[in-house]
Amino acid sequence: MAEGSNYDYLFKVVLIGDSGVGKSNLLSRFTRNEFNLETKSTIGVEFATRSINVNGKVVKAQIWDTAGQERYRAITAAYYRGAVGALLVYDISKHATYVDVTRWLKELRDHADSNIVIMLVGNKSDLKHLRAVPTEEAKAFAAENGLSFIETSALDASNVEAAFQTILTDIYRIVSSKSLEQSADAIKAPTGDTITVTPSVDTTQQQGGKCC
Amino acid sequence: MRSTLTHDTDPLQLIRRRLGKSKSLHDSLSGRASPDGSESPELLQRERSIRTNRRQKFINCLLQEDINMPELRKLAWQGIPDELRPIVWPLLLGHMPSISGLRSSTLKRKREEYASLVEVTFARDRQLDQQIWHQIEIDVPRTRPGVRLWMHACTQRSLERILYVWAIRHPASGYVQGINDLATPFFQVFLSAYVDSEAEDFDPTILPPSVLNAIEADSYFCLSRLLDGIQDNYIAGQPGIHRSVKRMAELVARIDPPLAAHLASQNVEFMQFAFRWMNCLLMREISVRNTIRMWDTYLAEGADAFSQFHLYVCSAFLVKWSEKLRQMDFQGIIMFLQSLPTQSWTDHDIEMLLSEAFVLSSTWHNAQSHFSGR
Ligand SMILES: Nc1nc2c(ncn2[C@@H]2O[C@H](COP(=O)(O)OP(=O)(O)OP(=O)(O)O)[C@@H](O)[C@H]2O)c(=O)[nH]1
Ligand SMILES: [Mg+2]
Repeated sequence: MAEGSNYDYLFKVVLIGDSGVGKSNLLSRFTRNEFNLETKSTIGVEFATRSINVNGKVVKAQIWDTAGQERYRAITAAYYRGAVGALLVYDISKHATYVDVTRWLKELRDHADSNIVIMLVGNKSDLKHLRAVPTEEAKAFAAENGLSFIETSALDASNVEAAFQTILTDIYRIVSSKSLEQSADAIKAPTGDTITVTPSVDTTQQQGGKCC
Repeated sequence: MRSTLTHDTDPLQLIRRRLGKSKSLHDSLSGRASPDGSESPELLQRERSIRTNRRQKFINCLLQEDINMPELRKLAWQGIPDELRPIVWPLLLGHMPSISGLRSSTLKRKREEYASLVEVTFARDRQLDQQIWHQIEIDVPRTRPGVRLWMHACTQRSLERILYVWAIRHPASGYVQGINDLATPFFQVFLSAYVDSEAEDFDPTILPPSVLNAIEADSYFCLSRLLDGIQDNYIAGQPGIHRSVKRMAELVARIDPPLAAHLASQNVEFMQFAFRWMNCLLMREISVRNTIRMWDTYLAEGADAFSQFHLYVCSAFLVKWSEKLRQMDFQGIIMFLQSLPTQSWTDHDIEMLLSEAFVLSSTWHNAQSHFSGR
């Protein structure tokens, strides 16, 4: 795991979606390669990081895993500020969690940066016999709404790495092209009030973290 | 695994019986420390006799016809002996009356009341509130992962009923994640009255239904009492938590300015870690055993301890890590506070924390107007 304080880019990403869809396990799978059939529910938010390589650059993802229950919406929405990416997770075996995706998109529209990169994630793909959401339907929905799409399983680890790699690469592309075409002073610092960015080796690039 | 079962469902009777059987009760009644033959150091012996003494005071207090509640509270503040807790908690919470003559009839009535609440709530022709039920259903198996007692279907069904009945009767909040955590100490403490082995390793299916129902009903009522004092934590917008976290931040700024300054310089907001501390009453930070000891004191403090006194406990808890935290950056702080090294904490650590909190509350509680006025 490429971890440490040296990185070229720091991206804040949030994990959102209904309670029980597997957000915390996706995060633990990605950051610690761990899966737990019984994890406690998330209260408020939890935080983890991991650095990966994108186009030869070290990209550090600062990931906020949020609580899925409606009652926590007010507190978790505060974490959307400054996020450049969102993984919107549903459970392929629970249709209701897919229906709620629309509600979560609205949440993002109301509280997040308008240019936030969103990836729709159908988790628990290992539960083939219980599938309630057809892959094609979700794929089409994602395309219509300008989201990227992937199915994952935190349990058997399939596509988890790919999901994070893809969204971080997408963010990187936008950010690096922006910093080419825009003058540095047009780019604001990448943080909301809620996060701190430790100085990186390349300040200019890092400041590209805010994608507009 | 040894476990003594009895069909008696009055905790006081149970305790009487158990105490009657044990040699230590005999010893404590006759006022001498149990001679165990070992050459324990003097200090240990003295400690033991203090404990025996305390236990004796508890027993004397509990055997009164009409229990002197202020006296019981005073005793309980310092911690309740394990075997007496199943009777002291319901007394402190007002679930069981202080007058001994009323006790069994009251308990009987309440348990019947709960049974009929369950019956009505889950009546076949009645629709479950799907949203509430669904959340409870996914949280119950995740409540105490890996702990034997809580992996048993029968314990999980009990917990589901407790949470659902409570939620339906409290529509302003409904079921909020974290309330499941708060039910577990009650269940374990009440279970411990009926078994000799460690409650967490116990297989509840071997209990007679009447005993299990009594544990469930008592847990329900005691949980309700506890939640009555912190309803604001769980209603829309969770104003109780916001208020507590804000006051905690203000308090820490006064008692540990360098820490407060460091957190601010790293852009750490109290909400980012203390939200959970309030929402789950630190149960995600310390063990259930520690929690149970902590609640002895909270219950002795009175109804609003779970919001008021808790805030001082949380402040003392944070300041405990001050030196470490001041060396860390944003990420380090958040990660550290997310998984605090409290695994090896004993009752002693909790008691230290409680007394620090007590000092804070005596110093600052009256000065509250000072900082709420800012
Ligand atoms: N079969 C299967 N189960 C999974 C998968 N991911 C998570 N789970 C299980 O689903 C349950 C919920 O997972 P969590 O990661 O706690 O869900 P969450 O979205 O974080 O839930 P909240 O914290 O309540 O919002 C747990 O029992 C997990 O073990 C998966 O990919 N496959
Ligand atoms: Mg979670």
